[in-house]
Amino acid sequence: MTPFRRRGDRMEAGFVPAESAVLTLLLDELEQLLAGDGGAVGDPVVARLFPAGHASDPELARDYRELTESSLREGKAEDLALVRATIPVEGGAVRLDVDQARSWLRTTNDLRLALGARLGITAEGAPEDTDEAQLSVYHWLTALQGSLVDALVAGGSRPR
Amino acid sequence: MAGPLAPERAPETTTDAEHELDRPWVTVVWDDPVNLMTYVTFVLQELFGYDEQKATTLMLQVHHEGKAIVSSGPRERMEHDTSRLHAYGLWASYQRDS
Repeated sequence: MTPFRRRGDRMEAGFVPAESAVLTLLLDELEQLLAGDGGAVGDPVVARLFPAGHASDPELARDYRELTESSLREGKAEDLALVRATIPVEGGAVRLDVDQARSWLRTTNDLRLALGARLGITAEGAPEDTDEAQLSVYHWLTALQGSLVDALVAGGSRPR
Repeated sequence: MAGPLAPERAPETTTDAEHELDRPWVTVVWDDPVNLMTYVTFVLQELFGYDEQKATTLMLQVHHEGKAIVSSGPRERMEHDTSRLHAYGLWASYQRDS
């Protein structure tokens, strides 16, 4: 991967074909998760993507969920579709405007949250027996998202 | 000279129920092992229009103290702020100010 860099009002990165393939696979998994209405109860991944709105009051938390969950789910699905449409299928350049970059930030963050929850990542890092391949995907996503944040900030893009 | 419309303030006589109504709501961001520090700072600037210094201060408070209040106001607005933070994957919730 060539990390994201800013060129004028665009954010640009480069993927090798395998990276495009892995990212597409991760999007497929996330899409299934978002489509599955609520997912498995108690699934830490779902719990992290759709957190409780109120920490201690179950009634308020329920109201919040009813009020916001469908739009949250739709927003995630829209971001995901945009990322999918802007991945170079055979590898190559990714070129994003600021709005597209926001979608990429949110989706890559969701992918990291989902993978982080599944691997059991804590402030101390990953558990010792973590699968190396999964962990390297997690670190790849971290590098990707980190470079995109830096590229956006480099433009003085305090966007709004 | 204070007329009848400007009584002396006597907050200690306020009932608990009235006090409840006066207390604003707040939106809290909680520490999270996954979200990047630069990302959290960026999101706080993006959503609340904070300058880099304020956003960084709040991010560091989340990181070191486990949480930070990032906005306060009426309940409906705090619900909205919480949902905007959730859209960016930050771990946030709203509550009455304590």
